[in-house]
Amino acid sequence: MILPKFEYKKARTIEEALEIYSQYNGEAFYLAGGTDLVPLLKHRLFNPKVVIDIKGIEELKTITKKGGNLLVGPNATLYELKGTPEIQEKLPCLFQSLDATSCETLQMRGTIGGNIMQNTRCLQYNKSLEWRTARGFCYKMGGKTCNVVLNAKACYSNYCGDNAPSLMTVDAKARIVGPTGEKTIKVEKLFSGDGKEPFTVKPGEILKGIIIPLKETKGAYEKLTVRGSIDYPLVGVAVTIKDGSAKVGVTGIGPCPRVYELKEVNEKEINNIADKAYEDAKPVLNAVLTPAYRKKMVGVLIKRVFKRIEKGGSR
Amino acid sequence: MKTVKVTINVNNEKIKLQVKPYETLLETLRERLALTGAKEACSLGSCGSCTVLLNGTPVRSCLILTPEVDGASITTIEGLKEDGKLHPLQEAFMEKGAVQCGFCTSGMIMTAKGLLNRNKKPSRAEIIKSISSNICRCTGYKKIVEAVEEASKKMA
Repeated sequence: MILPKFEYKKARTIEEALEIYSQYNGEAFYLAGGTDLVPLLKHRLFNPKVVIDIKGIEELKTITKKGGNLLVGPNATLYELKGTPEIQEKLPCLFQSLDATSCETLQMRGTIGGNIMQNTRCLQYNKSLEWRTARGFCYKMGGKTCNVVLNAKACYSNYCGDNAPSLMTVDAKARIVGPTGEKTIKVEKLFSGDGKEPFTVKPGEILKGIIIPLKETKGAYEKLTVRGSIDYPLVGVAVTIKDGSAKVGVTGIGPCPRVYELKEVNEKEINNIADKAYEDAKPVLNAVLTPAYRKKMVGVLIKRVFKRIEKGGSR
Repeated sequence: MKTVKVTINVNNEKIKLQVKPYETLLETLRERLALTGAKEACSLGSCGSCTVLLNGTPVRSCLILTPEVDGASITTIEGLKEDGKLHPLQEAFMEKGAVQCGFCTSGMIMTAKGLLNRNKKPSRAEIIKSISSNICRCTGYKKIVEAVEEASKKMA
């Protein structure tokens, strides 16, 4: 499959990247690992005038320990992050979600920033231009309908990132830098909840870092897939237990990951959260398994993850 | 559109090229350098048949722009043999019959080479995990895993 025509620019600093972005009036994409971006471009879902390679920016690559936090540059690869001793020892939920992401080869190229900021997916959206033209454009492609749900008022595409929900359960924050300055927000605030424009990040802004608190936690990640590897989660459940309370993150259904809090970890609370997450999950026929099965598996996976943590948490 | 100048080291040979800014590494290897060992199958990063080594690490060459790898060294399946002798991985794949249609084979071998580069004695579980980066639609993977095991023993 051939890529559409665009120019290639390499940025050495964040300022330079922002500068190139504004030179091209925002008709630009930042390129890090490319494992998510290149297929989108090949499918002609976006046609930028320029692709700005930000892999050469040193400050975006580093993983450092500072105070009680791990400061992760978004261009750190998933494989590098998985090998970080602090994550292996203290954050089992994040370690497992990193390990469960796609496959080793793609983990070595794909970055944590790109994994968090990946676009939402839909069986009717991630297709070639010819296929989509024949079917008719949906909301997400700038059309006036949804091709999955009849008379839908919004886009039902799924957010399929494995690691955002586990980062939410460990209270991670994201640093965003853009033309108007810098800000630090919780990872959950990155998501708009709208399938058409899934992120609150404004055009041109760059994810500059991820701040992960390093506290002793217990946790696990479980994902529903058809294959053993190279698969997006059809449902993903991340659980982190810290100081007697727990957080549950659910991904793979709807345009943003959801997070739930348990004040105490006991069977009644777990069942309550599993029921609530089941009720909130509104899958539609836009992934390879049926909506009813995926919905049911939300509750099942939440209970299963807690059981696994009780037994030691390993996969 | 302006072309981009790149210098890459392919199979220990320094090559200077003028490439399109939107050209993938797979296109450069196959169409400019006639190294057709890396195969194009899904072209979307799902299958792994285009796997090559970038500075010793396996990557999907269909997802990489050639301008991105300026200055890097690339190893393809053609660059594995030394002094006219096949690499132990290639030998083992033949001996164990880990090939049926053969389309995934070069990608499988490059992924296995990447694994052996970072882990001289991988366990069976580690081999399976690494090989699961690639898709084979004929063999059922058993003989491929056996071949990688065999090669790692030979190389030890």
